[in-house]
Amino acid sequence: MRGGILLRGFTGLYLFLFLTFLFGPLLIMVVTALNSSAFPRISPWDCLSFEWFVRLAGDERLQSGLLNSFAIGVAVVVVAVSLGLAGALFLTQIKPASRGVYYAVVTAPILMPGVVLGISTIIFWDRTAQLLGFSYGSLLYNGIFLTILGQSSFISSYCMLVMISRLQRFDTGQLEAALDLGATNMQAFRRVLLPFLKPAIVSAAVIAFLASFENYNTTVFTISHFHTFTTIISQKVRLGIDPSISAVAFVIIVLSVIGALFYEGFTRRGELKLQRRLPQGRGAFVRGLFVGNPATVMGVAVVIATVAGLWFALGHSADQCKADLLKQKLERQQELQQQFRRDTAPAAGAPSSTPGVRSPGQGTFGDVFSPGNLKGRQGDDAVPETPKSPGQGTFGDVFDPGNLRRPAEPDQQ
Amino acid sequence: MRAAVRQFFDRNGVGLGLFMLLGVTFWILVLIVLPQLTMVDFSFRHNLPPARVGGPEDVYTLTNYEYFLRGHPGNPDGYNRVDLGVFQRTLVAAVFVTVLNFVFCYPFAYYLAQVATGAWARMLALGLVVPYWINEILRAFAFRVIFGDAGLINTTLKQVGLIEVSIDFIRADVALYAGLGYAYVLLMIFPLYSAIESLDRNQIEAARDMGSPWWRIHWRIVMPFAKPGIVSGCTMVFMLSAGALAAPQILGGPSSLWFTQIIYQSFFEYFNWQRGAAYAIILLASCMVIVLGLMRLFGVKMGEIGR
Repeated sequence: MRGGILLRGFTGLYLFLFLTFLFGPLLIMVVTALNSSAFPRISPWDCLSFEWFVRLAGDERLQSGLLNSFAIGVAVVVVAVSLGLAGALFLTQIKPASRGVYYAVVTAPILMPGVVLGISTIIFWDRTAQLLGFSYGSLLYNGIFLTILGQSSFISSYCMLVMISRLQRFDTGQLEAALDLGATNMQAFRRVLLPFLKPAIVSAAVIAFLASFENYNTTVFTISHFHTFTTIISQKVRLGIDPSISAVAFVIIVLSVIGALFYEGFTRRGELKLQRRLPQGRGAFVRGLFVGNPATVMGVAVVIATVAGLWFALGHSADQCKADLLKQKLERQQELQQQFRRDTAPAAGAPSSTPGVRSPGQGTFGDVFSPGNLKGRQGDDAVPETPKSPGQGTFGDVFDPGNLRRPAEPDQQ
Repeated sequence: MRAAVRQFFDRNGVGLGLFMLLGVTFWILVLIVLPQLTMVDFSFRHNLPPARVGGPEDVYTLTNYEYFLRGHPGNPDGYNRVDLGVFQRTLVAAVFVTVLNFVFCYPFAYYLAQVATGAWARMLALGLVVPYWINEILRAFAFRVIFGDAGLINTTLKQVGLIEVSIDFIRADVALYAGLGYAYVLLMIFPLYSAIESLDRNQIEAARDMGSPWWRIHWRIVMPFAKPGIVSGCTMVFMLSAGALAAPQILGGPSSLWFTQIIYQSFFEYFNWQRGAAYAIILLASCMVIVLGLMRLFGVKMGEIGR
């Protein structure tokens, strides 16, 4: 192979970049949940702390939103899986000529912007309620009810696609055989077709729940004065970001990874079983889950790591570290004050006595405002070697220019 | 017609037949078609207080569409430069995000479909799904943490000493493009993957044996073969990024609104649902026109999409 090594090198580099892009943001977000700093960041690292999780556990609004999301998710699963099943079965019944149009109509919601779906749902039900004379407090104005309908309109399409792909492999001869042997239509459906579709129904239900749970664009229009998990998270993010959001992400990511690994593990086990490559004999079930199945092994490893982390977190306190950090800050502040006195007392020799390059604007507040603070002032020999967060003056980092900009960022629409 | 209905019930039985008919009717009519039609109707109406709805003033009008083009009646300019500008910028940016996403994802889809094997391929596929399970808002938040004013990149650059003043990635829309691209990686890769996977490897081998360089193999064999997958991936990414709301709200710069944000504002800040509906239709219609135009350009039929 000509240029094989070069090509392989490029492929490796590309894969590395791709995976970094894919997992880097998640990893960074997760790590910021463990930093005690009030702004989610990795460097400078303050203290290993689990306080953001504690704060999360006490957030009642978030919990009620979570409950709403869960209820909506379950309802959407019921509605969307039934509609998707009906839609998929109906596709097999209509003439090939009209199949294209039908297919276009029922898959269109997938491509429509979620905003459009949300708006059309809320307008339609608002008008229907007015037309039918429903009062404002009634079901047709209920945000949760509207959200279920709005989300179902496109999630049903996902479910239908999942079922169609399974139905394509169905041998209709089985159904005919059942009918020939005297089964009623309903019996044939329940005993033959439904069991065949069961895996598709399960994956459609999982997809529907996840899609509903993470939906924002449609929900934000239909939910009215209620809240779901996503709308609350979005409000939090837009009002100002703090690591408790990272903590939410932490929990979700860990759950996702565990769920994905075990899902993959069980699918793999099913395949091995089909290939008759499962171990036999004593303890076969347990060994069958792990042999030749890296996903389950990793899944168990993640679960163990999580439990160990929890156990560690329960016994860990960031108080000592935070106290140390505060002490460091105070020492540094005194140092700055002393330096300030030294600099200002002999007014004449001041500029020459200062080593290094100093910014000119030294007023009453020392150089708290100086932009040079942001660099951590490596050039100054009086400074202790620990990496410091920017702008540490009398008031901690109240004067950090970043602080001023942060709330002013105009993302609060 | 009656014969067809009778045949339908004969074939499926009453219970199952009713389940199908009622389900499909409810879905198509009540959840899809009627809401869309109502929205179209609504977009041609005046924004009246509830008491006057249904009164003599409640007539059809083009006001909302006119506003999109011309702005307020007293506008001396003659054009609604703000909304038109945002609209155009949104569509161009969505195209940009789509192209970027395609360029970035195509090699990976190819690698996954034709090169990677066994457990490694399975783990890669699994790895793609995990970020997609994370909430849209949280994904955008992750990019805030990275690109923000006091974010990872800025603090790192400062510590290294490369910069003194933070680079405003948010204002430059770098964060937004990265966030949007990130959000739809899976939606791009999945159609590409399933299209490329069905390509017979012998075709690639044959081309290689005849001395074709790797780029020509892709250009002349893999890409033409995977065209339906490419178009359907690009369609999804384009539609979703043009219609994205969460990412622009969280990552958008101060001077650059996304068109969906204008729709959101007319609903929740100006309480002008009619105008919001009109704008939503403008967004939907223009996205459809662009997508259908591109499909015609590349010679792909609607039925090939979404498989």
